[in-house]
Amino acid sequence: MLTSAESILEYDHSANEVRPDRLTRQTHGHYLVFAERMLAVYRRGIGSTRRDLHHRVEAICGSLEDCPLRRVRAFCKLLDEASNYRTDRRGCAAKLRRDVFSLAAPLHPLVTEPDGLFATTQERAKKLIADELGKTWSQIDEQLFSDVIEFQRLDDFPGYPGAAALLARYNVAQTQAALYRAEELSVWSRTDHKFILRYAKLARLMHSIRRNADGFYHFRFNGPASVLRQSTRYGVAFARLIPGLLSCRDWDALARLRGPRRRWYSLKLSSRDGLSSPVTAPADFDSRVEADFFREWGENPREGWRLEREADLLHHGQTVCTPDFTMIHQDGRRVLLEIVGFWTPEYLASKAKIAQQFDGSNLLLAVSHNARLVLPNTITAPIVFKTRLRPRDVLCRLAEMR
Amino acid sequence: MAFREINSTRKPCELSFDSGTLLIRGFSGDQIDRIFRRDQWRFDPRVGAFRTDALNYRNVVETLRAVDTPTPVLFDRVPQWVSIEVRGRAAASPSALKLREDQLTASKSWLATRRGCVIMPTGTGKTEVALYLIAELARSALIVAPVRDLMYQWHRRILDRFGVDAGILGDGICRVSPLTVTTYDSAQIHMPQIGNRFALVVFDECHHLPGPLRQDAARMSAAPYRLGLTATPERTDGRHRLLDELIGEVVYRQHLSQARGRTLADYHVQRIPVHLSDDEQQRYSALSLTVRDYIARRRELDPQFDWQSLCSESGSDPNARRALRAFHAKSAIEDRATEKLRVLEDLFRLHCGEPFLVFAGSNAMARDVSRKFLIPCLLSHCRKRERLDILQGLEQGRYPGIVANRVLDEGVDLPDVKVAIVIGGSGSSRQAIQRLGRILRRSRFGRGTIYEIYTRQTRDETRSRRRRANDAYQRRVDS
Repeated sequence: MLTSAESILEYDHSANEVRPDRLTRQTHGHYLVFAERMLAVYRRGIGSTRRDLHHRVEAICGSLEDCPLRRVRAFCKLLDEASNYRTDRRGCAAKLRRDVFSLAAPLHPLVTEPDGLFATTQERAKKLIADELGKTWSQIDEQLFSDVIEFQRLDDFPGYPGAAALLARYNVAQTQAALYRAEELSVWSRTDHKFILRYAKLARLMHSIRRNADGFYHFRFNGPASVLRQSTRYGVAFARLIPGLLSCRDWDALARLRGPRRRWYSLKLSSRDGLSSPVTAPADFDSRVEADFFREWGENPREGWRLEREADLLHHGQTVCTPDFTMIHQDGRRVLLEIVGFWTPEYLASKAKIAQQFDGSNLLLAVSHNARLVLPNTITAPIVFKTRLRPRDVLCRLAEMR
Repeated sequence: MAFREINSTRKPCELSFDSGTLLIRGFSGDQIDRIFRRDQWRFDPRVGAFRTDALNYRNVVETLRAVDTPTPVLFDRVPQWVSIEVRGRAAASPSALKLREDQLTASKSWLATRRGCVIMPTGTGKTEVALYLIAELARSALIVAPVRDLMYQWHRRILDRFGVDAGILGDGICRVSPLTVTTYDSAQIHMPQIGNRFALVVFDECHHLPGPLRQDAARMSAAPYRLGLTATPERTDGRHRLLDELIGEVVYRQHLSQARGRTLADYHVQRIPVHLSDDEQQRYSALSLTVRDYIARRRELDPQFDWQSLCSESGSDPNARRALRAFHAKSAIEDRATEKLRVLEDLFRLHCGEPFLVFAGSNAMARDVSRKFLIPCLLSHCRKRERLDILQGLEQGRYPGIVANRVLDEGVDLPDVKVAIVIGGSGSSRQAIQRLGRILRRSRFGRGTIYEIYTRQTRDETRSRRRRANDAYQRRVDS
């Protein structure tokens, strides 16, 4: 990830909006060539020091009229991210320094011109030490500080598949860096509620959930202390949420952050922005049972019931449950269905707890017959299935519920 | 209103720690308003409970104890700290520790309230005071230091004094134990997880605490006892006033003039101007012209145009970028003027046989010095073992002297030296005092000398003048 020192933001003072730096084919098509040249610098630069590589990248960007220093540094950082540098784990440079300085100590002070009192010149001392260590001075000079980050040498460059991939990574990284300064993040979700909340939980964010009249969910993300004071403390967590969020479908997001003169600005994002996620899209179904059930039900309503996947959330405080299916009757009734296969006892216990917590919210449980045995009795009559859950059994139960 | 739903009679009342904050359950909104300080608690609809900063823990508990009307039974689930066994409490008594009178006074003032800041000049033994107080409280304690080096130094001091291998949180290590050392950055990040595991938090060099995010290291801790240590509490941004809230008020203050000559070595300052070489001067002037030209041209259009605008424009304007680059190149010439190295050589001849410290303004300059004179340089990349070798080597006379950059800015214990040579660095007053504090430790060499080499007619000179305006530099400037 980039640091704030490489972040570039453009403030639109009339709309109170802020936009992270973005290089697209339309606006910055010419960058593709330059990105390719930067990649070439690293590919051909095995053995060069980090500082030299950065200087070469700077030189390439120097011929770009519209490339600010921060953008150059951001490119260097992202290229370094995909590089392996030789790190001096065994402390060879440190040992060499110790040898050199210990040998030089009795000769102190080293002088440029010898006089009556002090006779050892710097040149002579270097010659003596080099002989003692059995190396030339230029070899010693090259190795003496080779463990300093800027003098580390490139070992290997796995890199990026191509110029477009580097620019794509750049755009996501700038968006993440912009979020470091955000104090709150809202997401409006139309499809992948479950995954968005799951990624938010992984990023250790807290949520508030509201459902709009049109059925969209509005998530407000922040952290425990946000209720006490405005803080950029959770900005890093927002940035961490981004790769996951970008892999989800059908959402809009709005972050609020303070710009010049402590004025509020909004940063808008959406799944249609064309930012590409480094995370692969979430798997379609949790289990075979679910996939089979969905296929067997089909697209058409059965006995007036339409089947939708993961459409509704059950939430209470910071506990959220996304039942696998929502069945919606044409008269407007909604019944939720959660399928429990035989997994670990911990998994079953957590499912049982959720079922208890949301008892009375029209939640139906379908339980595999071998899981049934270990499930606590407290749960009101689940639908039990053997190897696959049939729509018929569920419809049967729906009819009973009337 | 939502908080009316909380039934205060049925549920037991519970105070708990939640990610750097406190949650209280079982009180009605009315009760909260009646009992606690105005606006101390906020209702958090996300969890259905009242929330406040963990910092308020001590006040909350004290407030509840002082309430006249009986409140429901309160389960206080916050404290996870424990009593600690430090080797022989007797061995940690003031007399055994050989605390000086002033250190004892400082300790007693703090013990009266068990919170607040102790201000003593560098080299007067703040660490001793803290170790004594840790032994006195004998409960889980966290020590927060500005950098890794200082964190390890605390670890070593604790091992020497108490024979305890303290936990370390930082530098890639995450080992928390009842006595733990950490850095401000790690403390800020991890406090939501560990904020209720320590009864005492010691903030070393506590002027670092009031940064916008760093103050979370104090806000998210529930520790009822807090000790701040510093030589220089003042911050240019005025935020030091926050220390009263985050740690507590100043309980003891000793001025540099009180310590000088008594616990600190006497010293004098000698300033040596150097000129840029012809070549450097030529490049310097050309670069200055680039910067001046650009700013002048922009000011014709916009009289308000200043440095800030230049920096922000360098994004879109290649000329602004050129000007900014010229400015950085100028600074590098000032910092690394070759004449400085020549003067350094003269000083080495003059003080041959006396251990010395050179303070450089940049890592590059520190390496220049190290490469030319073949003396060790202490930089941030040095690992623990090398750092120890360099410092011990200087102390034992294995090395004639060392050159350092910012690593030694604050608090790192250094062997006694007699000569310090400043060849660059920022002009801020705190850095000046801290740096001088290094060689001011009362040493067997008696009176110390500070040399300051600066490039004439450059910004280097302005910075040097600013440094001198400070208390530490005030007396005995001979040039």
